Amino acid sequence: MRVYILRRLLVAVPSLLIASLIVFTLPRLIPGDVVQLMLEEKAYGKDLEDLRAKLGLNRPLYVQYFDWMGSIVRGRLGESLWTRQPVLTELTRRLPVTVTLGIFATLVSIAIGVPIGVLAATRQDGALDFFARSAAILGLSVPGFVLAILVTLLPAIWWGWTPPRFVAFTKDPAGHLLQFVLPALILGVAAAAAIMRLTRGMLLEVLRQDYVRTAAAKGLRERVVVLKHALKNALIPVVTVLGLQVAGIAGGSVIIEWIFGIPGMGQFLVDAIVQRDYPVIQGINLIIVTLIVLTNLSVDLLYAVLDPRIRY
Amino acid sequence: MANSVETLPVPPQTLSRPWSVPSAVRVVLTFARRKPLGAVGGVIVLTLLIMATFAGQIAPHSYEQSVPGHRMKPPSAKFWMGTDNLSRDVWSRVVYGARISVTVGFATVALATLMATVVGVSSAYLGGAYDIAVQRVVDAWISFPALVVILSLMAALGPGLPNLILALSILGAAGASRVIRGSTLSVIASPYVEGGRAIGAGHLRIVLLYVLPNVLGTIFILATIGLGQVILAESALSFLGFGIPPPFPSWGAMLSGSGRSFMYHAPWMALFPGAAISLAVFGFNMLGDALRDVLDPRLRGSGRSSAST
Amino acid sequence: MSDTPFDPGVSRRDLLKTGAGAVALAVSGVQLATPAQAQTPKKGGTLRLTFLADPLHFDPHQTLSFVTMCPLSLCYSRLVKVKAGPTVKPMTYPVEPDLAESWTQANDTTYIFKLKKGVRWHNKPPVNGRELTADDVKYTYERFLSITGNPNKPVLEYVDKIEAVDKYTVKFTLKEPNAWFIDLLASTSTWIIAKECVEKFGDLKKVESVVGTGPWMLDRWEPNVKIVFSRHPNYHVPGLPYADNVEWLIDKDPASRLATWLSGKSDFGPEYQHAVRWLDAPVARQRKPGLQTSEYTWFTSGATGFKVGNPPFNDLKVRRALSRASNVAEVFESLAFSQGHWTPNPAVPAAFAEWSIPIDQLNPEGRKLYEFNTAEAKKLLAEAGHPNGFKTTVEAPSVVYGPDFDDFVAITVKNWKAAGIDVDLKLKEYGAFISSTIFGKFDHMFLGLRGAWADPEAYFYRWFMPGQPLNVWGVNDPKLTDMIKLQRRTFDVAKRKQVVFDIQRYLADQALFGVDGSIRILSAWDAHIKNYGPNNGFDYGGRLMAAWIDK
Repeated sequence: MRVYILRRLLVAVPSLLIASLIVFTLPRLIPGDVVQLMLEEKAYGKDLEDLRAKLGLNRPLYVQYFDWMGSIVRGRLGESLWTRQPVLTELTRRLPVTVTLGIFATLVSIAIGVPIGVLAATRQDGALDFFARSAAILGLSVPGFVLAILVTLLPAIWWGWTPPRFVAFTKDPAGHLLQFVLPALILGVAAAAAIMRLTRGMLLEVLRQDYVRTAAAKGLRERVVVLKHALKNALIPVVTVLGLQVAGIAGGSVIIEWIFGIPGMGQFLVDAIVQRDYPVIQGINLIIVTLIVLTNLSVDLLYAVLDPRIRY
Repeated sequence: MANSVETLPVPPQTLSRPWSVPSAVRVVLTFARRKPLGAVGGVIVLTLLIMATFAGQIAPHSYEQSVPGHRMKPPSAKFWMGTDNLSRDVWSRVVYGARISVTVGFATVALATLMATVVGVSSAYLGGAYDIAVQRVVDAWISFPALVVILSLMAALGPGLPNLILALSILGAAGASRVIRGSTLSVIASPYVEGGRAIGAGHLRIVLLYVLPNVLGTIFILATIGLGQVILAESALSFLGFGIPPPFPSWGAMLSGSGRSFMYHAPWMALFPGAAISLAVFGFNMLGDALRDVLDPRLRGSGRSSAST
Repeated sequence: MSDTPFDPGVSRRDLLKTGAGAVALAVSGVQLATPAQAQTPKKGGTLRLTFLADPLHFDPHQTLSFVTMCPLSLCYSRLVKVKAGPTVKPMTYPVEPDLAESWTQANDTTYIFKLKKGVRWHNKPPVNGRELTADDVKYTYERFLSITGNPNKPVLEYVDKIEAVDKYTVKFTLKEPNAWFIDLLASTSTWIIAKECVEKFGDLKKVESVVGTGPWMLDRWEPNVKIVFSRHPNYHVPGLPYADNVEWLIDKDPASRLATWLSGKSDFGPEYQHAVRWLDAPVARQRKPGLQTSEYTWFTSGATGFKVGNPPFNDLKVRRALSRASNVAEVFESLAFSQGHWTPNPAVPAAFAEWSIPIDQLNPEGRKLYEFNTAEAKKLLAEAGHPNGFKTTVEAPSVVYGPDFDDFVAITVKNWKAAGIDVDLKLKEYGAFISSTIFGKFDHMFLGLRGAWADPEAYFYRWFMPGQPLNVWGVNDPKLTDMIKLQRRTFDVAKRKQVVFDIQRYLADQALFGVDGSIRILSAWDAHIKNYGPNNGFDYGGRLMAAWIDK
């Protein structure tokens, strides 16, 4: 067991390193000179070079890379090229917001997806199964931003009401949490479909297996059988998907954040990409990637707990 | 010579029969009966393909043609889905949009599948250090949220249809390669392939003739689900400004472009492309689901990796 | 303007839908009669407005973008300013004193300003509320002209030196006469900044470094959410500002901004310069009884660029054909924002009511440019040796300007094609577009938006003077250059206007630009906001400072 954990951890390290390389290179592949962007519609030749030197962008790439890696080790992620605010400060302000939204959305997706998936599996190919699956797929087929715009705009026109604007946790904890309800619902409904289908699929397969039939034959009530034995095993792949969902939600919430005015990572990232703010792009990417690698790691370790047969 | 020799009734299975229409129809009907939802999905997909192929014949107007004097008209007998703020027929644009969606969808999935298959199969088959190295890169790649990858790629490549296809393919290939690898691993371990090796078949032959056909089912399912995701992704990208550039009538652009501005005043501009998106995604997913159910037992891969679809 | 959604049926349908209630009340007319005595300003309260983006950073010497300049206009003052308030007719820009109480012009190139006494900086570290002196002015403009990467430099690049003659007197010496100097000094990049801030923070990009002498102080910036300002108790105009606070709500989504306004969470129209889209205007009037509005033309317009040195645009007939093939009216009828409300622009945009030449005063050839006629365009092309039209490429930035811009591109390209100008549209991501196309690195043509420069001269000086970085056209016309140099030296306003009109006539005759127009926007503010008058330009602070809330 310990060996497994160690091995898993070791494997994560090269992944992170490779990720850091990708994180560093990707934004620089984008054409468009950030210095010229900063000088917008006016660029005197000498000004460009001076600004470039001031920002340290004229050094060879590998020097910049190692400089960046060095500062990471020391716990700093650099400054935004534009606002000169430290990247880490901005991230610590925004990350909790996106994570909260993600957690809420994931909770919604589980709360909707798992029970419906269970129901659909136990009544496979019945009317309930059909309706459940259709509704779930329909849920993810409607682009989230359409719902978001309708929810924002129509009540304002009809009744003069809009969803609440952002308020920080420290100022108003209840209000802060409440504002996530609508956006989390919209995000969660789309994710719920995947969870539902997976739960149903896994449960179906597990239900067919011998040990379940044995338990049923022993006379235990159906519900107990399902919940105790089948669900535990069925949850293994669901946990995998959850890991992937978190990643998806972290990135996919941009549009929802945009429409509901939630200051999360998504908006921050899009702006940074458009403005070629390399330190910010790198910082965000690195944090997200690390988070996801850690999430996957936890998921893998969770497997080891759930199913002793699984080893890498 | 009717009665000269008693012809033995030859069991049909031992003869190689040409694939004939009646048997194909029978397969489809059986499928429809067992999986009605999947059949509905199939019908939707078929309609889509027809709309895409015969757009020129089906659509009464071209997608960029303004009909003077008919700005923002609600749906009517003449304009089934109304007209937009540039006096263009929405129904025509939706039909041509099918072509765009189908093109983007199928091209992306085809390219992604190709990349994923090459990476996944080779990684599983060759194994060893190659496998470990490749998987680390795939790991790193998968860890990136889709948005980051897509935005960076689109910003790097610039707007345009081929670039969009390339970017979406790269995005989809990583995750898919993992699933395919898992599937390949289980196929390789089977006695079927062992047998092939035993009779001395070369590597390429084994891969092409033994491995691929069995992995094909997984690939197929991934593809149908992927098609739905690509269409959704395109509409999200249009919202952010990285989708298919005008004047091409992609549904996503119609929905998140002017359709969004006029959502309250001329809702049909957004409603119909939105419904088209939903219907298409619904159809692809239903079809994919049904296919998975049908092909299920033979393709259970090694535990977690295949379950992550 | 035939098929606009100005259909009263919409509002009636809404009434039925919501079943009376609040909407019925609004329409049936709880019209507040404004009693004559409600003219006494009320102090206090919070002005709330929505804005479509965060500031990039806070250094006015490192950007010209309105997303930074507009919020900064609440915190800074300059020597002279553009007069603001309901007495000023929009599209006119009279200059009045701000920090300088008077000024004299000693000769063509020397100006002497007398500063107000007792002007206090905001009481924030590191400036801590001390008095403003001539040294501050000198420091500001020296930094303005010497700092690397100041895109606003052309505003003052002809200034030779600035001297602090005594504590309250500043002397400017120019390298050459510039009749626009005072107007340029009133622009919103010439604010006076504090030396201590630059020394402490290195530059003015950080939000803590916003310390000025303007009507409000910047309390805090919550990125992506809002900026909060509070009144400067020692503002140098006694009694102002009336409102205690300003809440600057940042919201990127137009539907969300509109909803915020309609639901009463902000007091001004949701778009730039408090405009409301014409598409949304009926709904807004219905939800907001007593809504105050003003219609006028703004600066923003489309821009068509081409290289006059390269064929086929080196042929005057081809350039004329391009304009004849453009149906600008169709563009403005289609856009959600404009819905048919627009004005055509000569070289100096119509938003400069005093300097823009009325189209009918152009010479006949110039006037004809604005008459859309595909057949004529084809004829001109044939005369120029292109009987079957010609092929060319057009670069444009993709989707960053919103769906309205995309529609503009689509319509423009479609009409050009109908005349035989077979355009291959190359869309570029915004950053790439700015880095290359704007500076002339394009092959044939580009389509973009015109920058909102606040002085009329910029619109022909920066584009058509040889040697200017933005002269991507490659124009080098001696006659034009002489006229441009002449108007700069003409101090008499009436005479200068004649020269500027002549320049616009000439540019139209030579078809050195593609025809365009600007939207006549509808600025709107709630019934309880008094003494407010909208106008073009970044100076939100100037326009808001004398407004009060009557609730």
